[in-house]
This record gives sequence, C-alpha cells and structure tokens, in this order.
Amino acid sequence: MKVTIKSWTGVASWRWIANDENCGICRMSFESTCPECALPGDDCPLVWGVCSHCFHMHCIVKWLNLQQLNKQCPMCRQSWKFNIH
Amino acid sequence: MLRATGKRDRDIFDEVWPEKRKIVLKLLRQETVSQLEWQDLFFGVHFVCLWDEKGASKIYDGLQQDIVEFIVQAQSKVQAQRGEQALLATYIVEWRKFFTQSNYLPLPFRQLEQSPQVKPASSSSSTSSSTSAGGGASTSNAAASSSNQASLSSSSAKASTSAAASNAASTSVGAASNSASAAASSSKKSPTEDSPVRKLMLDSWNKHIFHDIKDRLQESAMKIVHAERNGDAYDAQLVVGVRESYVNLSSNAEDKLEIYREYFEKAYLKATADFYRLKSAEQQQENGVLAYMKYADAKLREEEVRAKRYLEPSSFNILTCRLVKVLIVDHLNSIIAECPALIRDYETDRLNLMFRLMDRVLDGEGVEAMMGDLQRHIKSAGLADMQSASEIITQDSEKYVERLLELFNKFSDLVRNAFNDDPRFLTARDIAFKMVVNDTSVFKMELPTSIANRGVKYTAPESKCPELLANYCDMLLRRTPLSKRLTSEQIDARLRDVLLVLKYVNNKDVFMRYHKVHLTRRLILGTSADSEKEEDIVEWLREVGMPADYVNRLARMFQDIKVSEDLNTQFRNSISRHDAINIKILNAGAWARCSERVSVSLPIELEDYIPDVEEFYKKKHSGRKLQWYHHMSNGTITFVNNFGRYDLDVTTFQMAVLFAWNQRQHDKISYENLRLATELPDPELRRTLWSLVAFPKIKKQILLMEPAAISSPKDFAENTMFYINQEFAIVKNGKSQRRGKLNLIGRLQLSTERSQQEDNQSIVQLRILRTQEAIIKIMKVRKRMNNAALQAELIDILKNMFLPSKKMIKEQLEWLIEHKYMRRDDDDINMFIYVA
Repeated sequence: MKVTIKSWTGVASWRWIANDENCGICRMSFESTCPECALPGDDCPLVWGVCSHCFHMHCIVKWLNLQQLNKQCPMCRQSWKFNIH
Repeated sequence: MLRATGKRDRDIFDEVWPEKRKIVLKLLRQETVSQLEWQDLFFGVHFVCLWDEKGASKIYDGLQQDIVEFIVQAQSKVQAQRGEQALLATYIVEWRKFFTQSNYLPLPFRQLEQSPQVKPASSSSSTSSSTSAGGGASTSNAAASSSNQASLSSSSAKASTSAAASNAASTSVGAASNSASAAASSSKKSPTEDSPVRKLMLDSWNKHIFHDIKDRLQESAMKIVHAERNGDAYDAQLVVGVRESYVNLSSNAEDKLEIYREYFEKAYLKATADFYRLKSAEQQQENGVLAYMKYADAKLREEEVRAKRYLEPSSFNILTCRLVKVLIVDHLNSIIAECPALIRDYETDRLNLMFRLMDRVLDGEGVEAMMGDLQRHIKSAGLADMQSASEIITQDSEKYVERLLELFNKFSDLVRNAFNDDPRFLTARDIAFKMVVNDTSVFKMELPTSIANRGVKYTAPESKCPELLANYCDMLLRRTPLSKRLTSEQIDARLRDVLLVLKYVNNKDVFMRYHKVHLTRRLILGTSADSEKEEDIVEWLREVGMPADYVNRLARMFQDIKVSEDLNTQFRNSISRHDAINIKILNAGAWARCSERVSVSLPIELEDYIPDVEEFYKKKHSGRKLQWYHHMSNGTITFVNNFGRYDLDVTTFQMAVLFAWNQRQHDKISYENLRLATELPDPELRRTLWSLVAFPKIKKQILLMEPAAISSPKDFAENTMFYINQEFAIVKNGKSQRRGKLNLIGRLQLSTERSQQEDNQSIVQLRILRTQEAIIKIMKVRKRMNNAALQAELIDILKNMFLPSKKMIKEQLEWLIEHKYMRRDDDDINMFIYVA
C-alpha cells in the first residue's frame, strides 16, 4: 500500500502584519475597516510610514489632507513619508 | 301716429287683438298661416306694445287664456283614451305638436320680453318652476305680480328704446332654430328659449295637463317597460316619447332635467327595483344560487342596454347602483356562501362570474369576502398538500421546491383565470403563500433558545424553507446528477423559480447563510457546474432586493478566486516543481466566517511547500501574512494497493490520517497514536476517522477498525485500533475495479467543531445585532419616536433579511435602554428618545 499526493489545494486567508491592534486615527481594529468602508481586506488597505506607524490608508490620507503645512505622523509628529517596501 | 294719441289705450288692444288672436289660435292648432298673417302678427304685437302702456301685460294675459284653452282641449283628448298605449300615443302626439309650436309662437311676441310688465316673470323663472309640485300656482302668481308692476311703470317709451338695442343683438343670434328636439337637447340657447311666452306655454302645459295625468303617463310607460322585461314586444318609442316630454317640459334653463328626474327617473328606478326584487328572489329559489349569478349578470347587462334607450345618460349610474343593490347586495351572503366550494373545485368560470358581480358592489365587501376565502383555501390546501407529502419533502429539497412551485403555479392559474389577475387577489395569494412557505408545522428549524448575552430568552421555531431552497440552489449549481440532467435553460428557469419562492420567505438571512456556505464549498472544491451561472445568480439576488452588503460579499468571493488563480500561475512560474499546488487566498471578511485555526501535522511533502508559498505571498503583498485554513484545504491522493490504483479526493485531514500508514502499511494504529501523529484536535480526528471507516454508500471502506462494532464516532476509545483495508477497491456494478476515482470529501466541513446548532446560534446573534443597528439608525435620524412607528420602520428596514419578532424587538429595545443608547419619555411610556 502506498499513498502519494497527486494535487493539493491549500486554503488560507491573510492578515495584516501591523505593530498595533487598532488604527491610531479611527481606533478601529486593523482586521476590520476604516469607518467609511464596508468590507475589510483589499478595499481598505493599511499603509506604513517610515516612522513604522501604521494606519488605514483612508484614515491617514484624510489626516494628511487636513494638515496645512507640515505633513506629520499623528502618532510621533515626525514628518510623514509612506514606507514602500 | 297722431291719430293714435287721441284714442284710449284700451281701445288699441281691443281693436287689434281679436284679429291677431285668430292667427295665434291657428298657430296653436298647427294650421296653415300665410306669410302675410305671420308678419301681421309681428306688427300687431309691436303696435299694441308701443301705443298701449299696459299693452304687453294685456297681450300676455290674452295669450295665456288662449293657450290654456288649447291645452284643456288637448287634455280632454288625451284623457278620453282608456288603453295605456293609446293614452301614451295620444299624449305624445299632442305634446309634440304643442312643443313644436312652443318654438315658433314666442317669436312674434319678442316685444314682450323687453317689457318690464312681463319681465319679472321670466327673471324669476328659476324660482317659479323649481317648486315643481305647485308649479302651476306659482306661475299665476308671477303673472299677477307682473301686472301689478305694470301700473307702476309710467315711461314705456324709455323701456322700449333700451329694448331696441338689446333686441338687435338677440335676433342676430339665430333665426334658424326650428327643431324642437334640437332646442331641448342641445345646450346651445335657441332664441325662444328664454322667452316668457315659451315659458308660459310650458308652464301652462305643466299645470293643466301634465300635472293631472303624469301619474297615468308614468304608470303606462312603466307598464310597457315591465311588459318588455317579461319578454312581450311593445312600441319602445312610446316610452322614449314620454321621456322626451319630461325632459323638454322643463322651463328651468339651469336644470333641464329637473322634471324628468323628479318624476320619470324616480318612477323608472322604483319600477326596476320592484321588478327585480320579486324576480331575483324567485330566480334564486327556483334555480339555485349558481344559476342566479348568471341571471343577475345577464339582467345587469340587459338593463344597461335598456337604460340607454329609455333614460337620459345622467341616470345610468344611478340605475346601475340601484340594480346592483337589488340584484347583488341583497343576495350577497347567499352568493358568497358558494365561494369556498367553487374555489375548492377550481370552478374558474363561475368564480370569474362571481368576481365580476362582486366587483360592481361599491364598498368592496363582496370582493373582500372572496379574497378571504381564497386566502384561506390557499393556506389550508397548500399546507394539507405539504403535510401529505411531508415524508419526502422534508428530506429532499428538490422534491420540496418542486412541490412548492407546483402549488404556486396552481394558485396563480386560479387567480389569473378566475380573477383576471386582479391586484387585490394577487395580494391575497401572496399573503396566503407566505403563510404556506413560512409555516412551521411540516418541518421547522430550531434556533437556539438561550444565548447568554444581550438578553434573548428564546426564539420561535422557523420554517426550514430557506435552508431547503439554498440546498436546491446548490444542487442546480454544483456538478450533480440533477444539474447534469438539465439543460442550461432549464437550470436558469429553476433558479428563477427559487428566487420566486424566496420572495415569500420571511427569513431570507437563513437562505443567505446557507447559500453562502454552499457557494464557499463549490468555490473551494471547484465543483461549480457553470461559473457564469454562479455569477448570474449573484446579480439576480441583487435584483430581488437582497441586502447590498451581502451581495457584495458574494461578488467578492468570486474576485478572490480569480485573484488566487492569477497568483497560482505566477507561483508556478516562479518555482517550477510545484505544479500540483494550488492556493486559494480568501478575504477574511467576505467568506463564510471561518473558525479558529486547527492544528494538523501535514504530510512531509506538503509541509515543504508551505514556507515557499508564504515567502512568495510575502513578496507579492508586503505587510500581509497568510493564515492557513487546513480544514478547508483538500487534495487528490493516489492510493495503490495489491488490487489496483485509485485516485481519491480527500480533505487535508483525511490525508494526514492516511499518511500515518505510509511507513508501516500493515500496522494497526491506536486512536491515541493517530492523534499524536496527526496532531488533530479530538473532535476533528473522530470525524475524520469516521469518514474513513464508514463513508456512506461505498461497499469497501479504506480503513477498518477493531472492534468493528462501533456505531458512532463518539464511541472511539483511546485504544480503538485502525488499519488499512488491504482489500480496498472501488466497486462498480458489483465488480471491483482496478482503477478509479472516488470522492471521500462529501460535504466539506467549513466550520470545525461547531455544530449545526452553533451555526444557527450565529444567525440569531447576527439578527440581534442587525436589529440593534437598525433601531439606532432610525432613532439617530428621528430623535423621538413612538413605539408603533418605530416597529413599522424597523420591519421595513429588516424585511429583506428577516422578520424580527415582536418579542425580539422588545428585548433589544430594553437592552438599548439599559445601555443608555436611548430612553423612554418620562410622560409617555411608548415614546422613545435617542440619547447621543
């Protein structure tokens, strides 16, 4: 008797790797969405700053648009730059 | 002219009138009047009015005398007739003559119109003739008052000059009005219409002849109509003639039909009602109610035709109302009593007849009663049908849905054929069908009775219908014997049918949940019969009003599968050896809620793949990490033994269990050791083992156990031994096959140790949240709202998902009040106030 694998379908979901549980702006869990979205996941992504803080993309964009002069991270007041891996 | 001044006024009238009077009498008798005489009359009247101060009133009085005389003669002629027809005929002849003259005779007396001595009579015409009972008396009053006034007015010259101006205007209007009937029926005013002489003529006729014999006239006319109703032929023109005389007799310009309405119409209505009151009772007694309906219907039509002949258009509605009262309303109860039996026997023609009759009844009482009967019938017949077949349909969702549709079509046919798809009956059908669909007596789904938090104590049992509908959908969309048997169009038609029934389901959230679970299985196992259809039905669900966020989630699932396919292609290209690996990566929010991770020790080959996949994914999507759902993963293994070589579709858990024997094929392994080898949690291991030792519907199982007499996975003990069935083979038609393919997955377990009960619990949980959410949503807008309005709005919001029970709403309101989301008004316990 011998059993060999012919094919396999693996099922997985994905989660954000964030350094915090909740978004520092909207206080919602990263696993759920920003207040404006309905479906978590691809439609409401997270973004990281070079300062390593992480927010819902919709939240931080809204925040940055509200800042007149210096675009700063709302958590650490460093100048905000998107961290593109 | 000078010669005239010397004479006394009286003489001029006396001198001129006797000659002119002869002409008037000739006119009345319709004898030939020469042109000269005709002109002479004009001149004479003018002359008298001009030279005699009281000339106008004198002429008027003289004229009246002659007219009355003439009428009295005519009356005696008419009265002399004994027979009804003769009486009518004579009257009509006399009247027509007189009426024709009433258009000509006033012409020469135009002058009188302008005279203040006569005028008051014509200006008060509406009052004098409106009191029609004493019409004659008031006319003479008016005449008397006009002669009184004559003495007061001294300046007749002044009057006649002003008359000349307006006279010219009125003569130009129409010299060409001579048709009697045209003058009566057209609304256009003929020149003689307002004339006091004409009025005098008509009023006199009214007083001296009509008043005395109108009862006889009516009676005679009604006798003719009565005879006609009984089938005897009579001269219909007699009745028509009488009616015309009633219409034309009215000198009241504002309401020409006054006399007609007062006497003729009244008499006609009464005669009709009396006739049918007797007849209808007779008919019903003799021939029964069913035949009577036909009779009533026929008579209603017949009378409508008759009314067109004998009545003025203004009377049609009144007559129909009266007839409906006598023929239908008075027999309403006995007719309605037949309705249930007719519905039961599907007597569509008779029902249609009954419906048409009842539809004539204004307050809709009859139709309502019929609707009630229909509703009761659909409910009881539908439920009886379901109950009689309950054995099959509770188990077989295909049979159930087909049965349901059969019923629905049957009832729809009934509504179409019997009630012409009348919206009221369609509603009744819908209400009743809703009851059938949501009934819990045939089968029910128990939702859990206790959830610790949020204050829910119990929930009522619900119909299993939505679950079965979802199952049926699954059978159509998955590759099954059913879906293979049907053409694409047939499947479409059936899916549409499912949506049709779904419309009647109260708790659509149950359907949604099951549909989603089934869809998840189909997408993960790749068992959809037609992926296009899968997406079609999502759109259809959107069209029938399923909540948008639910439909969006379904659409998201398809998107995930497509994205995963692309990802797989890229993955295979990057690492050449993994062509047997397929990954499906799901958005956690969109799919059926997955339970917590289940640990399992994968076969070595797979264990090696995992880091590669994870690494690849990390490169593709930074900031994300994968979380494996091994309870949903699955694969195909090749199983080789001495007998043959088989491809088996298995779950990853089954795989893990079978691989335990790869190194020690002939060993018996204890339950305990298997648990150690696979690292599966106890409930999963039991379930997986059970699926390998007792997979339904196969002759030879792949695993055997010791002791062999265990009847349930719960009875596996730590020391129960399992071993590979060396004799395993796929058996087809009683023969063992050397090669073959077998699916051992069955229903893919989406949740792990969660039982059906817990699944249902989450339905209730979700409903609670939805209800709270909706209440808050409403209150946030309204700020203040009373209980009844809140409930109505709440049901409106939630109806596409589920029907919230009163009890649940109450409990959630209490919960929200307790948690200070809202409060009750201090003065009014039924008023809620939103607390921000």
